[in-house]
Amino acid sequence: MEQTREDSWRPDSDDDESRHDPLFRIAAADRRNFLLVSAVGLAFLVVLPLVVGEYYVSLLSEILIFGILVSGVNLLLGYTGLVSLGHASFMGLGAYVTAVLAALLGYPVWISMLASMVISLVIAYAVGLLSVRTKGVQFLLITLAFGQMFHAIAEKTRYTGGDDGMTNIPRVDLSFFGLDANEDHVFYFFVLLCFAVSILILRMIVDSPFGRSLVGIRENEKRMLAMGYSTFPYKALAFGVSGMLAGLAGCLWVQHSFFVNPHIMTWQMSGEALLMVIIGGSRHFYGPLLGAAFYVLAKDFLSDITDAYLMFFGLLFVFVVAFFHGGLAGFAAKIGERLQQGRGRS
Amino acid sequence: MTFFLFNLLNGLQLSMLIFLMAIGLTVIFGLMDILNLAHGAFYMVGAYFGYVVFQMVGSFWVALLVAPLLPLILGFILQYFVLQPLIDRGRSAHLDMALLTFGLLFFTIGLIDLIFFEMLGLTFMSIDKPAGLESYVDIGTFYPAYRLFIIAIGLLVALVVWLLLERTVIGAVVRAGVDDREMVRAMGVNVYAVFASVFALGCGLAGLAGVVAGAELSINIDMGVQILIPTLVVVVLGGLGSVKGCFIGSLIVGMAETMSQAYVPVLALFATYMLLAIMLIFRPQGFFGRTPKTV
Repeated sequence: MEQTREDSWRPDSDDDESRHDPLFRIAAADRRNFLLVSAVGLAFLVVLPLVVGEYYVSLLSEILIFGILVSGVNLLLGYTGLVSLGHASFMGLGAYVTAVLAALLGYPVWISMLASMVISLVIAYAVGLLSVRTKGVQFLLITLAFGQMFHAIAEKTRYTGGDDGMTNIPRVDLSFFGLDANEDHVFYFFVLLCFAVSILILRMIVDSPFGRSLVGIRENEKRMLAMGYSTFPYKALAFGVSGMLAGLAGCLWVQHSFFVNPHIMTWQMSGEALLMVIIGGSRHFYGPLLGAAFYVLAKDFLSDITDAYLMFFGLLFVFVVAFFHGGLAGFAAKIGERLQQGRGRS
Repeated sequence: MTFFLFNLLNGLQLSMLIFLMAIGLTVIFGLMDILNLAHGAFYMVGAYFGYVVFQMVGSFWVALLVAPLLPLILGFILQYFVLQPLIDRGRSAHLDMALLTFGLLFFTIGLIDLIFFEMLGLTFMSIDKPAGLESYVDIGTFYPAYRLFIIAIGLLVALVVWLLLERTVIGAVVRAGVDDREMVRAMGVNVYAVFASVFALGCGLAGLAGVVAGAELSINIDMGVQILIPTLVVVVLGGLGSVKGCFIGSLIVGMAETMSQAYVPVLALFATYMLLAIMLIFRPQGFFGRTPKTV
């Protein structure tokens, strides 16, 4: 089994055998289905807000914002095999930079957004350079440490309101197009635009030689090193990009909710991002997005009943890690496969 | 000077609390590669169950003896019937188990929130200190006797654990297991039984820390997460499976936290994390750990 997986990169490897390799199969299915799924998904996301109520439009925005965050987290977790427990801090960084520039210094929101993405990219890359020297559990701990440091800074800084955070953060100004982003539908489509662009860029990264190298690092870092790849810069850049996406999610989040406080930088938040990725399925491009949707909707549903919604997520998380590594997306793929097999036989 | 003494004792007290947590975590991590993020959950279970026992019996001492049994039993069940079978079925001990126990931590926090807050309406609870220990001792300054008691318990446990690990056959098996699991197995030791027992003992000690802390700090929903992070730092500082490293690591972290709070409050929140980050960057195997044999 292990042998097949490692050999499947060879062009002369037996086609039949590599087709049995789960990774190969998933990659091929991914390529084939990506455009179809994206088109259907996009159409769905465009039409849906036109038929549901205001409240659900706001929930949808939330899903897409978390979708950006977790897609970024998955570039690390699913593609590079690094589990970060500090990504909430980059989300918080993006949120705070936007809030400070837009609300305190009075810059236009779109400039603040660009600035927050650049700053999260740079800082995440720097943190990445230090962190990727470790791996596995050590990596998890060091990202946790950095995350907590950023959280402490946010909590201690009087300028940004300390523990209370900041309120009255403006949303992006779309009056040039004759639109008002304070209206939930308009803001939703703005988020959707950011989301679609992020997903497109992420897909291009994943399909590029850079993205392939990341998968190589996940599968066998020693072999990558032996082949002459210096893996540190690859991993650090992946960390930077994923931090930038978290920053973008943060600056959309702060506009969505009009306020920011250090709570979005806690390690519980980072943990919840991991929860979404793993419940959704880290080995699938759109898996984390499914996880985000599931998470936001289930949380909305559960919090009507009980505040202890974490209990259910914790349990679900345990079950997914223990018995169902593929998550929701893996489950869907398996069902799709069964159907196809059934059709093939009949 | 008295201010310094006061803080020194406070630091020592915190160090001992952290040590009670960290010793289990580090031996478990060293022996079976499982980073048990649910360790904070066992600490909470100890504290909350201690509170329940205390409310029923009315005695601190009974709570102190009985409450750690629940996390001990739960720990055994978790390791023997859940984690080990999963590892045997090919789940990576390293990462999957860290994630799984992380989920378990979330679950426990949610469950305790549900039972104690939503059903019973309790938020901040506390176990009464036992008679004789609620007073203050005059040591140049008036110092709470109970905190001295915490220090004593920590030192006692450290001594017992050290004797157990360094001076008994069981300890030899565990130390050998940290060095080379396969070899111990090949020599006919039932490693699964050893694993589960060590895991259970570690969880029991976390529970003990919970009860002890429950009479000094308040019992609340954030307590597990609050103590978990300094504990993880100790594990990284001390290296895997080393009692000495764990003890010294606990002292460093406890002192760093207390002293920074007393003298440089600006740094207070960073001190521990900076220690962790610096350590992981420059010496990921810890002060006393050995470089891992396999990756």
